[in-house]
Amino acid sequence: MSIPLRRVVLVEDHDLFRAGVRAGLGPTVEVVGEAATVADAVPLIKALDPDVVLLDVHLPDGGGQAVIIQVAPERPGVKFLALSVSDAAEDVIGVIRAGARGYVTKAISGDELTAAVHRTADGDAVFSPRLAGFVLDAFRSGEAASDSELDQLTAREREVLQLIARGYSYKEIAARLHLSPRTVESHVSAVLRKLQLSSRHELTRWAAERRLI
Amino acid sequence: MSVGPLRLPLALPRITRVERDRVVAGVCAGIADAVAVDPTLVRLVFALLAFASGAGIVAYLGAWAMLPAPGSPVPPRGRRIGGLVLLVWAVILALRGLGLADSLVWPLALAAAGVVLATSSMTFGLRRRHLQAGAVVLVVLGIVLFVEQNSGGSASTLLAPGAVAVALMLVLVPWAFRLVRERDAERAERVRSEERADLAARVHDSVLQTLTLIQKEPGDARRLARRQERELRAWLYPDREAAAAGTLANAVESTAAEIEELHGVRVEVVRTGDAPLDERAQALVLAAREAMANAARHSGVEEVSVFLDAGAAGISLYVRDRGTGFDVEAVAADRRGLSESIRGRMERVGGNARIVSAPGEGTEVELELP
Repeated sequence: MSIPLRRVVLVEDHDLFRAGVRAGLGPTVEVVGEAATVADAVPLIKALDPDVVLLDVHLPDGGGQAVIIQVAPERPGVKFLALSVSDAAEDVIGVIRAGARGYVTKAISGDELTAAVHRTADGDAVFSPRLAGFVLDAFRSGEAASDSELDQLTAREREVLQLIARGYSYKEIAARLHLSPRTVESHVSAVLRKLQLSSRHELTRWAAERRLI
Repeated sequence: MSVGPLRLPLALPRITRVERDRVVAGVCAGIADAVAVDPTLVRLVFALLAFASGAGIVAYLGAWAMLPAPGSPVPPRGRRIGGLVLLVWAVILALRGLGLADSLVWPLALAAAGVVLATSSMTFGLRRRHLQAGAVVLVVLGIVLFVEQNSGGSASTLLAPGAVAVALMLVLVPWAFRLVRERDAERAERVRSEERADLAARVHDSVLQTLTLIQKEPGDARRLARRQERELRAWLYPDREAAAAGTLANAVESTAAEIEELHGVRVEVVRTGDAPLDERAQALVLAAREAMANAARHSGVEEVSVFLDAGAAGISLYVRDRGTGFDVEAVAADRRGLSESIRGRMERVGGNARIVSAPGEGTEVELELP
């Protein structure tokens, strides 16, 4: 099976990082456009209609979320993968709730980033260990007991997240839990959906404090 | 004249007594701090007032009763009311000391107390309505007293000091307002410039130094950059650090930082939950340190993952690398690091350690404290 070529737009305000990311991406990913600001990125993405947008969380004129909010309604097929130097929960939650399919830090290797772009393009969720740790914190059982299933993680989802936090790849998790890699993906996607839709107070508080919603 | 929207020009609650350069109780220095003048000047005013029938001394006692001690909240209500009474008394003494007739001083004092009550931002724990009612009563009493005592006197002797007082107030009140506003603006500007200076100093001490070091020793770049990153993070997100100070999560983070320094590997710590750093948790941290050091020394890879999961059910800590791995059965018996530092330590505090590894498949050390 040949790996499809993914068209990517890179939105990032540091030239140095853009160059680094471009150089690190494998041959299966083609950078078709680059932008350094929200104002440049929005029309560019709409015009190019790429598979994946690699999006810096911090942009001078509004941040990654502003791009997602302006593009997503018109281009539902475009998927967003957030990039940031920091692993602060407030950075993560804003972009994820705006609609990003995943979040990686800029310390990620080129190969891992290439894999993450493919996963994002396939519609899967991409979790860094740190993000998994934060989600476990936010959905910690016993706090704010709620009836809504959006506010709870299943035992299996919790298990998968713990393994991600421990540094396991999806493939390693699948082998360990005797699941297919697809099943692992679907658990992670379910968690992402909860992260975007849940009204748990930890999540809404972050969002409200930073005026993210 | 409406007195409703008017506020006292000096916001009393913001003045606190100060500990440093105090002479008696820190009242003068506290007031001087709040209005940004030299404390000696304030002391001089109090001293001069002391000659006006001892008004300065009474005022000092009143201020001492009303102002909160450094670092503590407002004094109790009874004490504040007592302090206010002393202050009013001091004003009366001062006015009499300046030669104003009793017949003018007392009505003036009552009316002034009424105005203060009506415009006061401190409610003394009373309801707003009660406060306003009290203010009206005091002002009316003042006017009645004034009319009664002065109905026989000539108009000029009464009106002259009154007119002077009104004129003084017209001049002084806007001036005091402006002074306070300017002081606030000045202070805000000072805070801003201090922040800028702090940032510049921080960048110079840390980032610029590190960049210089990297230029001299390019081989150390990774380690230096990592250390710098950690320092900057700690500075940018101080609330996260402070929340975890002295706890298990904090100890794990700093242990990971130590291992990074010592061995030049990257140790990624992910944590959920936290626990106090008691004796058992300390044993866990030491065992984790040994596991991290082993991974750094023997795995041959540059990244070690640490996951701390501290919940109600117990504490779990995982140290994982994707390196060479080893045959646990063959090596565990004679390697002191594994058997003593990790297993023994955990078992002594009622926990356990599990080591999962195979040649070529990396290693994971699981530490548990129920």
